[in-house]
Amino acid sequence: MHHILIVEDSPTMRSLVVSALEELGAPVRITEAASGFEALRELPREAYDLIVTDINMPDINGLELVSFVKSNAAYRAIPLLIISTEGSERDRLKGLELGADAYLVKPFEPEVLRRTARDLLAKAQEE
Amino acid sequence: MAARRTRSPARSKATREFVSEVEEILERLRADLADLADQRAGGELEPELANRLFRSAHSLKGLAGMFGFEGMSGLAHHLEDILDGLRMGRLAASAPALDLLEPAVELVASLLERAGSAKAQAGAAEEVARLVERIEAALHAGPAAARVAAPEIDERLLRALTEYEEHRLRESLRRGRWIHLVEASFEILSFEEGLADLTGAAREIGEVISTLPAPGEVPEAQIRFSLLVASDADAQALSTLLDHPTASIRCVHRGASDAPSERLEHSTHAAESAQRGAAERSASARAAGPQPDASESDPEDASVSPALDEPAREPSGELDSLKSISETVRVDIRKLDELMNLVGELVIQRGAIAAIAAQLLAEPASARFGRELGKLHKTLDRKLQELQAGVLEVRMVPLRQVFEKLSRVVRRLRRDSGKDVRLEIRGGDTELDKLIVEELADPLMHVVRNAFDHALEPPAERIAAGKPAEGTIRLEALQRGNHVVIQVADDGRGIDVDAVRSRAVACGLVAPDALLTRKETLDLIFQPGLSTSSEVTETSGRGVGMDVVRENVTALGGLVYLDSTRGAGTTISLTLPITLAIIQALTVGVADQRFAIPLTAVLETLLVGPEAIQRSEGREFLNLRGDALALRRLHAEFGLPAPAADARQAVVVVGLGDARAGLLVDRLEGQQDAVIKPILGPVRSVPGIAGATELGDRGTVLVLDVAALIEDAARRREAA
Repeated sequence: MHHILIVEDSPTMRSLVVSALEELGAPVRITEAASGFEALRELPREAYDLIVTDINMPDINGLELVSFVKSNAAYRAIPLLIISTEGSERDRLKGLELGADAYLVKPFEPEVLRRTARDLLAKAQEE
Repeated sequence: MAARRTRSPARSKATREFVSEVEEILERLRADLADLADQRAGGELEPELANRLFRSAHSLKGLAGMFGFEGMSGLAHHLEDILDGLRMGRLAASAPALDLLEPAVELVASLLERAGSAKAQAGAAEEVARLVERIEAALHAGPAAARVAAPEIDERLLRALTEYEEHRLRESLRRGRWIHLVEASFEILSFEEGLADLTGAAREIGEVISTLPAPGEVPEAQIRFSLLVASDADAQALSTLLDHPTASIRCVHRGASDAPSERLEHSTHAAESAQRGAAERSASARAAGPQPDASESDPEDASVSPALDEPAREPSGELDSLKSISETVRVDIRKLDELMNLVGELVIQRGAIAAIAAQLLAEPASARFGRELGKLHKTLDRKLQELQAGVLEVRMVPLRQVFEKLSRVVRRLRRDSGKDVRLEIRGGDTELDKLIVEELADPLMHVVRNAFDHALEPPAERIAAGKPAEGTIRLEALQRGNHVVIQVADDGRGIDVDAVRSRAVACGLVAPDALLTRKETLDLIFQPGLSTSSEVTETSGRGVGMDVVRENVTALGGLVYLDSTRGAGTTISLTLPITLAIIQALTVGVADQRFAIPLTAVLETLLVGPEAIQRSEGREFLNLRGDALALRRLHAEFGLPAPAADARQAVVVVGLGDARAGLLVDRLEGQQDAVIKPILGPVRSVPGIAGATELGDRGTVLVLDVAALIEDAARRREAA
């Protein structure tokens, strides 16, 4: 069972991502966070296998969340995928510099999201 | 009521979510754009406003893109471009490109309305392309704000800043502000309140540029936040405001000015006082908690310990608003409908229990059980009433939302037309069922636009008439018992009754020799196809006339009245029920049928003999304490057998607003809760019937549409 944390402030976008990942082809459990703060509270509660986060959010932005996850020994190993609307190239670069494992630009096909998620999960298992 | 529920076509859940979220984003954009217009006029833009606008446009672009609405997404992209320029300081507040924001938002709104039809979308493509072209041209020509040199700030801090946050940092440096790094640790499960407190305090004298979380000393249990704060105040001044046991402040960039912040009477000699502060507090800072990033040799380093002599600070508005975000839940209105239906069904079951209890009580052998069941029924009844009130309460929203929308419309009309009009709003706190509030937006908008376009005269004409040049539209809501009355009053030219009449004659609505009262003539305005103003302006003329206003309000179980005095103005009053879902009803019998009448509309009931009923020109009246009350015989309305000619009859006096009518029925049966359900099928459009309801064990009865019956009675009375 893969446990995935989805951090996205738009409820519509969040449910799209959830329904795409529910059909991953492997058993998944999904926890939703509607803001960076919610994600910070969720993280210590469960062991996650994948984090999917947006960048533009209220309270803390996705980059700040990436920085937190990747600077924390307890979460560093969790693969992290940024999904963000095509925008600042610099922000995208920064996300990867901060340690995000992949970056998807919205809009994307659900299948592309699933494939990326599967790759990240498989890679994490190998390591 | 039936019409209200049959309007939404079948759509997938995802699309519905999409539409409702885009609507929310548009609402936010409009409100923020109105603020932007005000701030542009004032000359000073609040940086967070531009960023908030940008974020809305950004979300819109992403959502529209995911759902394949290319036109909308492209338009949102251009909105985003303008707003990005604004928040990043590339566009000045005066840039003409900003004038295109509102048209772009409205075009997105119209694209959303046409979202169901691919053909309509394609038809809009050209409109989108034209606007996009204008935006691109404007952005190209827009005056660029000067860029500033990169700051001398620690790369480590900069790494997690978004481009916008970087820009705010540069901007603060350019303005010679102090940049402080505030760090504090919190328990991870409850950090939000403490952090909100800290952020709120920092915002009192500065701007929080970024909030970076990091693992605390005990990573599983603690979390540490680094806030980058830009302020005109020095570390000392900031430290007196921050009240957290583990907070430390480090100055990462010294401000250019020694000016104290406005609200602090503290020292002006920044460097000296900061040094003194650092010397006094560094010990407590080291003891208080981890701060690996604070270089302890830094003379600007000052940590905060709760000052005992400092008066307790009132919770700031900032904090309150942050709390309200986390304590609010968004609920789909349909879920509330379902909940309401369930409550309604429980209410009906409760009625059945009462009936069984009464039966048991009537038999000596089972009377004991009957009493027990009766008691249980009473308790259940109380709790159910609370539940019902609770569910209704959740559905109630203040009218303010609609009023604010109207105020934005007036602001825009004022700008586009150059007409000087003041909008006075009262009673925005008055609450109504969410569905009613939503359905009210369109009719109210139309009434207000009418007042703006047609009723209010141009300034010269007003001055000539001895009125102030500035026209006034007064929008007022007040609660009256179970109804809410919304009035839209203007001090314009009023309605020319003769012109209405001659136009109605010209349209063939009334015969040239018809005798009409003043009120009746004014009432013609609600007839389809009659508009007193022959010129059709862009804002009011299209499609919706007063007939549609009346139709919309009547569908909500409400009434529309119009009163006008030539030269002094027009008042339009909408009377609406507070809620639609569960009503208390009076059940009455006519022949072998039963009907339910909403109790909110029942003023009184009386029994009359046939001799009390007066006739005049084929209409029937009752002398009710000196007033003639128009009567309607329900058996005649619904084609049921008439009672014996000499039978005493019951009269139910119903009223909405100021209108009255008497309904003649055979029997009064009792008071009941009723859940109104729409009727589908051939009876749907029977005039005088609002819906159907179930009454416990007694089957389905029809609910009378009191508004329709009264209006009809009033019309006949006037005609008589």
